[in-house]
Amino acid sequence: MAGLLVLLTILAPWGGAAWVMLARSDQLRQFAAVLSSVIAACAALLLLAFTLTTPSVEFALGGVFGTFTFVPDGLGAFLAAVATTIGCLTVIFSLDYMRGEHQLGRYYALVLLFIGAMCGLVLSGSLLLLFIFWEMTALCSYALISFHNDDPKAVAGGIKALVITQIGGVGLLVGILAAYAQLGTLDISVLIANAGSLPADALTITAFGFLIAAAAKSAQVPFHTWLPGAMEAPTPVSALIHAATMVNAGVYLLARFYPAFAAVPGWTTAVLIIGLLSALFGALMALSTHDLKRALAYSTISQLGFMVYAIGAGGIFASQFHLLNHAVFKALLFLGAGAVIHTMGTRDMRRMGGLSRAMPFVRNVFVIGGLALAGVPFFNGFWSKELILEAGLETAVWSFVIMLFTAGLTALYTLRMIWLVFFGEAHAAFPAHDAPNAMRIALGVLAAGVLGIWLLSGAFGHLLETTLPYHEGVLHVESTADMIFALITAPATWLTLAVIGLGFALWVLRARLTALTNALTPIMRAAAADFGFEWLNRRIVTTAQSAAVLLRRTQTGQLNWNVVGIVTGLVMVLVVLMVGR
Amino acid sequence: MTGTILVIGVLALIGVGLYGMMILHNVLKLVVALQILTKAAALALVAAGYMNGQLQLGQSLALTVIVADTMVAVVGLALAVQVRRHFGTLDTRALSTLKR
Repeated sequence: MAGLLVLLTILAPWGGAAWVMLARSDQLRQFAAVLSSVIAACAALLLLAFTLTTPSVEFALGGVFGTFTFVPDGLGAFLAAVATTIGCLTVIFSLDYMRGEHQLGRYYALVLLFIGAMCGLVLSGSLLLLFIFWEMTALCSYALISFHNDDPKAVAGGIKALVITQIGGVGLLVGILAAYAQLGTLDISVLIANAGSLPADALTITAFGFLIAAAAKSAQVPFHTWLPGAMEAPTPVSALIHAATMVNAGVYLLARFYPAFAAVPGWTTAVLIIGLLSALFGALMALSTHDLKRALAYSTISQLGFMVYAIGAGGIFASQFHLLNHAVFKALLFLGAGAVIHTMGTRDMRRMGGLSRAMPFVRNVFVIGGLALAGVPFFNGFWSKELILEAGLETAVWSFVIMLFTAGLTALYTLRMIWLVFFGEAHAAFPAHDAPNAMRIALGVLAAGVLGIWLLSGAFGHLLETTLPYHEGVLHVESTADMIFALITAPATWLTLAVIGLGFALWVLRARLTALTNALTPIMRAAAADFGFEWLNRRIVTTAQSAAVLLRRTQTGQLNWNVVGIVTGLVMVLVVLMVGR
Repeated sequence: MTGTILVIGVLALIGVGLYGMMILHNVLKLVVALQILTKAAALALVAAGYMNGQLQLGQSLALTVIVADTMVAVVGLALAVQVRRHFGTLDTRALSTLKR
């Protein structure tokens, strides 16, 4: 049964993608896309009831490929469920958002391929298969970010995302090869079980290779610059990348291999610091931008930083719980922002404002998502953020203080975003209309999720605990009631709430605090310039280009000189072989 | 003894082929040089088979190489015809238009 469901989860979106490509009319394409994504979501949700710790599907390929396996354990099945459910909702949302666009076939086919690839990534039990699906998601994200391929900005954003995530892909490949050279197998469970017996240097290469891969995929410092550029994509695609299929893969990788790498000297500290810096920088940048989608993108960097930080602090369950909650509220925020952008035709928050009356439904769900993002009690983001901060407090107090500050910043930028878009003075001259029906379905389901999904934390933790044999002792799972009691009675929670309240108060009192605002101006200017990372990116690109211009002289275009080059290379190889002997 | 002669033959053919590829400008002559180079590969297979005591294997692989390099020659000559039609000359120095 589990094997059938695994195959259905991966192959239903892919089959749907083929159907969409072959379909003749846009109506049929939309029908095919919705049907296949709903089937995949149902299969993945059912899979949660059939989790296993052993492979449920095996393809014996032999040779260096080993056996390709799919293991539907708690972690994989949970992420597949997130990817397909959020993916299904974004497909439904797209019915309204993408109506009348050209090349809908390409759009829906890529979205479905993306969802299927992500499910394959998280369910795969073989390192090589993991790598193949990993690259497949990178390729799909590139193609979808550049979906409007007549817009140079969209094409540039797609290429940037592809290049940066490829750096991570190389890290992953090097890590996999280092592990394979020692173990002689590509089985993930063998690597986790025998990590302790590997030579220290090989394990270090693997651990840090995987960390680079995760940081590039999850848009962590210093690889975060591709995510704001990815905002040129159609908004449902942004929701998909941010909540369901792309950035979660990095956090998944770290959580999956945590038991193997935790003992590598310096690894957990590196993870902790990368998460910490990403959370802080992301929050500051979100505060400095005027573009609604960029603000949400920076908040994703920041929230993913919280998750990576939690893994560095040893709170695996806290990070995965926050991943679940973040997926739900960020999908809600992105789709809500999509509804706003769809009706306003602009992404600049300074030109919005006063939309509260024209779009009451979107306002309500956006505020719900925003409160969850800020970590206000009894929305889902509150619980997981508190768990992360608790884990941080137990590990390193100095990092807890910085994360506390970041939590306050989160509240500040969230309120600023909501205020600029929905309240304040109306700037727009053209009439705004509330969301149409297909958008409402997707937004309503997600809003209900934000309000209620945290009640499942105990069940979710139990699922992880029973199916992840190697994570024993690092999950720290408690039942929902225990979690509520523990968090409400913890002094750290009240401290965090006070800081969050302070963040809100700062925005409300911003007019009277001119001295503070002026003092912050240089920091905000640095944040608007992406803290120099954008400059670094450009320098690397221009250096590579000028090197290419220099090397161009070696290409004479003369056949004889090319043969001379080949012969010289051959002679050099022979000499090296002779000397090496 | 036979093995040594074969290896010397292989090296001589490789040398002639590569030298031709490096100095010739005429496409037809280049195809001939390429053929000499592939014949060196065929001879090398036979020599390797002879020295390993698996002469049949070396010979059958050499036959495969001959079949494949005949196709290479055919394609090369067809390209030569097209080059002559398109550029009016068989000189490879006229073919560096991608560079310009």
